[in-house]
Amino acid sequence: MTRDILILCAAGMLVSAYLMVGQRALFTAIRLYGAQSLLLGIVAATMALSEGRHDLFVTAALTIMLKTILIPWFLMRVIDRIGIHREIEPFLNVPASLLVCLGLTVVGYRVSTGFPAAAGDVSHHLIGVALSMLLIGLFLMVTRKKAITQILALLTVENAVFLVAVGVTSGMPLIVELGISFDVILAVLLLGILVHRIVDRFESMDVSRLSNLKG
Amino acid sequence: MNLLVWTLAVPLVTAAFGSFGGPRAFKEATMVGGLTLTFGLSMATAGQFLHGAMPSAFADALRVDGLSALVLVLCGFVGVLSATYGAGYLRRNEARKLVTPRMRREFYGLIPAYVFAMLLVSVSNNLGILWIAVELTTLASVFLVTFHDRDTSLEAAWKFLVLGSLGLAFALLGTVLLFASGQGRLGEGMAALHWTRFMQVAPTLHPFILRLGVVFALIGYGTKAGLAPMHTWKPDAYREAPSPAVALMAVGMLNGALYCVLRIHLISKAALGPEFSSGLLLTLGLLSVLIATPFILVQWNLKRLLAYSSIEHVGIMAVGIGLGAEAGVFGALLHMTYHSFAKPVALFSAGTLSQLHSSSDFNRIGNGTFTRAPIASSLLVLAAIIITGSPPFGMFFSEMTILRAGFLGPHVTATAIFLAALVVLFCGFGFQIGRLVLGPPRDPSDRRKPLPERFDLAMGTVIAAAVLAIVSAFYLPAPLLALIRAATRVVWEGA
Repeated sequence: MTRDILILCAAGMLVSAYLMVGQRALFTAIRLYGAQSLLLGIVAATMALSEGRHDLFVTAALTIMLKTILIPWFLMRVIDRIGIHREIEPFLNVPASLLVCLGLTVVGYRVSTGFPAAAGDVSHHLIGVALSMLLIGLFLMVTRKKAITQILALLTVENAVFLVAVGVTSGMPLIVELGISFDVILAVLLLGILVHRIVDRFESMDVSRLSNLKG
Repeated sequence: MNLLVWTLAVPLVTAAFGSFGGPRAFKEATMVGGLTLTFGLSMATAGQFLHGAMPSAFADALRVDGLSALVLVLCGFVGVLSATYGAGYLRRNEARKLVTPRMRREFYGLIPAYVFAMLLVSVSNNLGILWIAVELTTLASVFLVTFHDRDTSLEAAWKFLVLGSLGLAFALLGTVLLFASGQGRLGEGMAALHWTRFMQVAPTLHPFILRLGVVFALIGYGTKAGLAPMHTWKPDAYREAPSPAVALMAVGMLNGALYCVLRIHLISKAALGPEFSSGLLLTLGLLSVLIATPFILVQWNLKRLLAYSSIEHVGIMAVGIGLGAEAGVFGALLHMTYHSFAKPVALFSAGTLSQLHSSSDFNRIGNGTFTRAPIASSLLVLAAIIITGSPPFGMFFSEMTILRAGFLGPHVTATAIFLAALVVLFCGFGFQIGRLVLGPPRDPSDRRKPLPERFDLAMGTVIAAAVLAIVSAFYLPAPLLALIRAATRVVWEGA
């Protein structure tokens, strides 16, 4: 039962990453990120129940509160304020992007086979999903032009790292995890402020326009 | 309360004072006084270490060994220089009515905060705290990059924050994987992420997970150090940030990030043998030196030129460590020390020239600066002579030590390429600075007149820093040399 829930949630996270790649509406992309974080929270809560590690409940609660509610709300507010709702044509079109992501998933799973078998097949799946998400996040980051999409890509990478932390190590020490969450929130806040300033200045949030500094 | 805790608390309190309003003299006094006190405290902490104690706090989460002590003292030193020059820098801008209240708040608040975060990096014994501290340095410096609020500073800040966060995500994944490679042997709670704990159980770590973790962590922290290929934020950030903040980035942050790289390298060395991470460091270091070369030759901006020089120097240090010889490690740490003395002189004199000409682009400054600003130009030439590694200054000896270790060791080809790149870099850097300072003015009629050079607080700081840089070449105080030796012992023997 636990195994099924974990694998289902992990699969859901991977699907949400794929949907994000295929998505042009920014609001939907943010909601997808929220859903992805909710699934991460469920993974953490399930691990906490099945392994009796109560630290992980704090992680789960923190993940759901911050990444499912607070960060998406903040990003949506930023979008509302600046009034830009759609991603423009990415550097690589959607079908080609999805094909690349398929390849990245294969790579992620291939690397995950090197992890020790003793960790069990659930954590094998979790690592496979996490590494794939990491690569997809990096891919999103280099092919998209909107500042908000780049933030979402960064957050996807960060979710992938947390999935490894929860899935493989059953959680980092609590105080470290609190510190990391605090830093992530602060980073998103600063990125939001920068997006604001960029839009004010350039009347656009295409980061491809930020290309005056070379050499 | 513990001396180490005081060392960290003082800059934090200074930052809190600085971010509130208040008369200018008060703010200047707080920042300079606070950071001078911090430097004194960091020297006292290092002194405790030299007397045989091992200062630590919070159940060993913060711990000062030889390596930490060296990085701590250098960071405290550059903190004082930055604060003093920074106060003078802002005074010059105040005189021209260029400073808004927002700028004042950000400047006096963020510079001590940045110093605090860097000091925290240098004394972290816990890989989790280490990561948090490095992230704090990034967050503290973003608004220093956007300080002048130009179009290009937004671009630089965006690249800085996105690339920095990505590097830190990698470093976090590396940390998680290192933790996972312990497979429960590291124990529970905070102590499980202690570096000392990792070193104890190193032989039993799972090799595959560890390798993956080391690669991610080295690339991640390498991003913050400015090691190629993740160095692209550096020239942009150096050009946009005010020079006092750049000095903190180029010395404090560089040393701090290298400290993180070394901690990861040591875990890897203890668990997998020396080849794996040494090879990685040698590759990244050599790549940085090689990438910096063409960009220095075709550079169009003074502060970007110094950024590429800083990429070169972090590459030299990485090569020294990656050669896998004790002499190489000693050379690298010696290089770090000399670099910390010399780089601020270069940055501050370049910053003065840029301030007088309201730009750091070569074509806006114009050639032949010696006729217009003789003091700043002479200091820049002096700094260029030192940081290109010319004899008789210290960096010549540290580079020679590294080269000697390289030619005596197994990596002769790599060392030969390294030497060739150093020669080209020497010529390129010398050519750029020589042209700027001594070259004939292109057309004296069409250029706006620069501001006249004045002897003020900032200028005094540059001269003091230059004197220290020259003195350090011929006489390193015995305690400092003892710290370098202790740090070498940590990096070479892992204890």
